[in-house]
Amino acid sequence: MKTRYLFASRWKKVGWMIFIPAAVIGLFTVLTDWEPALLDVEVYGPFITDYSGEGSGKGYLDNNLLNEICGLLLIIGGLLVAFSKEQQEDEFIQKIRLEALVWATYGNYIILVLGFIFVYDFGFFWVMLFNMFTVLWLFIFKFHWDLRLLKKSLSYAE
Amino acid sequence: MQNSLKVERARLKMTQADLAEKVGVSRQTINAIELGKYGPSTVLALRLSGVFGKAVNELFSLEDDDLN
Repeated sequence: MKTRYLFASRWKKVGWMIFIPAAVIGLFTVLTDWEPALLDVEVYGPFITDYSGEGSGKGYLDNNLLNEICGLLLIIGGLLVAFSKEQQEDEFIQKIRLEALVWATYGNYIILVLGFIFVYDFGFFWVMLFNMFTVLWLFIFKFHWDLRLLKKSLSYAE
Repeated sequence: MQNSLKVERARLKMTQADLAEKVGVSRQTINAIELGKYGPSTVLALRLSGVFGKAVNELFSLEDDDLN
């Protein structure tokens, strides 16, 4: 079946190989503040602001690259896992894909709405941090869960 | 929507996997159609019609719920 915007199915494995380690290391570094000195570098930033929002414009600053690397790998790996074709991507799989995407989008914004209502000050930063990735995580979970249920529940009748 | 896919398949002694291969979908899709869990697109309905040599409205028919 012709599909637009989906990667070839072979990229799914590559996606998992990027996504899982990036998620594990990313969570670890967020929870423990672990930042290896090896990745301390001076980076160029075109839009630098401090916590008050005051901008000093562009320039160089000291930064540990681990969170940037994990974030990029999570997005790249997550997109490959989420949007690589199944071995046999047909119209029924596309329906399941669409429904999972709708479900994940609702889930993502329910989390954000709850964050708006119940979480304040710096705590809200954590909500936003995780919310950058939850739509992909929720979609990957729901889509694969539904595929699994489909394979289990539909008895194979000859 | 009701369908007579299972009967037609049995008439031609085809498995779900055989039919799935002929029309280019997964066998789960054929199974879901037979169980009434999924209504196929016009293209897939026409492909199925071609395999069985029957008009689409002989293979698929609307139920009361579909008319409301």
